Amino acid sequence: MASDRGFWRSPALRNTLILLVAWEIAGQLKLVAGGALPPVSAILFRFWADRADYPNHVAATVWASVAGFVIGNIIAVGAGVLFVLFPRLQRLARGVNIAVFALPPIAVAPILVLTLQGMAPRVVMAALGVYFVTMTATVVGLSQYDTRSADVVRAYGGGNWLVMKLVRLRGAVPDILGGLRIAAPNAVLGAILAEFGGGGRWGLGTYLLGSLGRGEPARLWGIGLVATLIAGLSYAVFALVSARILGSTRSVTLNTALPPSDADTDAPPALRLALSAGAIALPFVLWWAFIRVTGVPEMIAKTPWGVIDYLFLADTSALARAKLMGALTQTLPITALGMVAGLGFAFLLAISARMIPGFIRAFMPIALVTQTMPLVALTPLLVLMLGRGLSVTLWITISVTFFPAFVLLVQGIQRVPQSVLDLPRAYGASAWKELRMVSIPAALPYLFAATRLTVPRALLGVMIAEWLATGSGLGNLLNQSRGYLDYGMIWTVASASVCLSVAFYYAVLAVERRTLTRLGMQVVE
Amino acid sequence: MSPTPGISLSGVCKTYRGRGADVVALQDMNLDCPPGSFTALIGPSGCGKSTAMRIALGLEDHDAGNVRIAGQAPATATASGITGVAFQDAALLPWRTVARNIALPLEVLGRDPARYSHEIAKLIDLVGLEGYESALPGQLSGGMRQRVSIARALITSPEVLFMDEPFGALDQIRRRQMNVELQRIWLETKSTALLVTHGIDEAVFLADYVVVMHANPGRVVEVIEVPFARPRNDELYASPEFHALTDRIARVLHGQ
Repeated sequence: MASDRGFWRSPALRNTLILLVAWEIAGQLKLVAGGALPPVSAILFRFWADRADYPNHVAATVWASVAGFVIGNIIAVGAGVLFVLFPRLQRLARGVNIAVFALPPIAVAPILVLTLQGMAPRVVMAALGVYFVTMTATVVGLSQYDTRSADVVRAYGGGNWLVMKLVRLRGAVPDILGGLRIAAPNAVLGAILAEFGGGGRWGLGTYLLGSLGRGEPARLWGIGLVATLIAGLSYAVFALVSARILGSTRSVTLNTALPPSDADTDAPPALRLALSAGAIALPFVLWWAFIRVTGVPEMIAKTPWGVIDYLFLADTSALARAKLMGALTQTLPITALGMVAGLGFAFLLAISARMIPGFIRAFMPIALVTQTMPLVALTPLLVLMLGRGLSVTLWITISVTFFPAFVLLVQGIQRVPQSVLDLPRAYGASAWKELRMVSIPAALPYLFAATRLTVPRALLGVMIAEWLATGSGLGNLLNQSRGYLDYGMIWTVASASVCLSVAFYYAVLAVERRTLTRLGMQVVE
Repeated sequence: MSPTPGISLSGVCKTYRGRGADVVALQDMNLDCPPGSFTALIGPSGCGKSTAMRIALGLEDHDAGNVRIAGQAPATATASGITGVAFQDAALLPWRTVARNIALPLEVLGRDPARYSHEIAKLIDLVGLEGYESALPGQLSGGMRQRVSIARALITSPEVLFMDEPFGALDQIRRRQMNVELQRIWLETKSTALLVTHGIDEAVFLADYVVVMHANPGRVVEVIEVPFARPRNDELYASPEFHALTDRIARVLHGQ
């Protein structure tokens, strides 16, 4: 990405330096929230004092992240290839894919801690964090191949597998690397969240949780920055690799023909119905199988039926429903509000990026740092600065939706060929007119995709804030239920939050399909 | 015409079912290219000439009719490696060097590219790209990329060579140079060639037979024999016979 290289140019370096100096001054003078933002020097001193603690914590987190990253990505790339070769398999797995994508990790962490031992919950969480991103990137990369090159292979009698091997796999490498780049910080986030959720002596999440009650802002900042550094480094490694490889992958000339859709439209209605039913049933079957395989007692591990029983049939079901509804009415409005603000801000900034490229260059370093900053590490810091009120929830939600949406939108707009941009200008259109005629319509599919893709993150952000700070909503209910050993409620909150995410995802997708079909555009995966 | 033509399409029909209206791309299309001949397929945009070639290559299905490449079904012929193809766009794999792009058909056919290194080097010489063996397509000009795709089409020593406007993206001057080159290469290989083109002078310069097609529905209206001796050179473009023939083809194209 051209914008990534901007990070290393001098204006970015200069801005970072200015930021650090301003931070130091603000910290020294206790300008922010009565000393909640310590000066940089204080954080460094604290870090030096704690230096003996870090290696073990960092090692534990990195180990779990790397293991989960490797396992999750192997599964994801394999699944992506299978899905492209056998579209019906993809339809069948759709429910599982969406569920994995939509599950707020914080809701699943307690469940994994209940059902698995040792490092396993952390590794699984890290793997879950990378699976969907890499799988989608693989499918997208494999689907957007150059039809002309495929024709050459087919003209010599090559079949689907040879086209896959010679044209599509290599062509998908930049997309897969792009996926890995986003997935890498996710793995770190997943591992830390699992550490947070319970158990274990080592890990940055454990360290953070242990330091939370002590009122030592400098240490919290130190841990948060170290976690960010690890996530950021993992991102940077893949950003560098993909920048190296991208140049030799882009087709030299533009192909106007779209690859034929892999969508399985000619399947008989009965089969399609069966596939859809299977897609809905499969996540629940896997859930049930997971509990059977791990052999955790029914008291602790609830099957799908167990949750229904808890919520609707058991003696305490009325109370459970009331608690859940109360939490939902607290969580949902704030999530929606934060998302709208975050997406709107991202959209405005992305479409204006073309007009003021210098601004983007200066802004990108901050965008990158915040994007890779593990949410759990960020939240305590925001709580320190903004207090425990509603504003902290809102800010967290905005920040978690803004950055992924911004990156997606900027990349989407960058795909518009230069000649299309030049055309309105050639007729003397103003920058604003060019924006209205080309950039905004071109960004629309990506805005929809961003909306769909940031729902779970927004929900995750709100739940983390609720868990750690505000003491309300779904996040708090989850935390309380852990304390009360109310296993039924833990499973209920987890499944409810996943179902909500999935429902919202499909609601956006439905609107998206209708709008884009009317505009003759394609849905972005 | 020869009893076992290099390329033969008889009674081929193809209809695209679009939204609302069906488009008849080809209606009862007949085409015979004798072995060792050079045939040019010419016609306006949308007359189905590229579709005819794609059907002959087995890249697209046809609704009715019979297609034979050297007496075999298209799928059999292409999989046995007796065909070569160059498309309008060079369609090179951007991550492969010139030499490895030329070797692509060998890999598709399951042959060992290492055993063809001599042929690859010879073809690179033939198309005038010595020294560019390990260049990536992004480092080449449009004309050079097109020459790579011609070399790629020839690597299997094809008996039947298909070309879909291989020089369509080049300027007139470069195009005429490439036509001379193509004739030289074709004379050396003795293959049956089918060239799809927009250019009347290109068709007349290269072909033994010019097949003129009309659109709506796509069909062959006339086959015109080109009598000029080979090898033909640039002087041909200036001769009155050449102009008489191109004028005649232009009239057929315009339905006069």
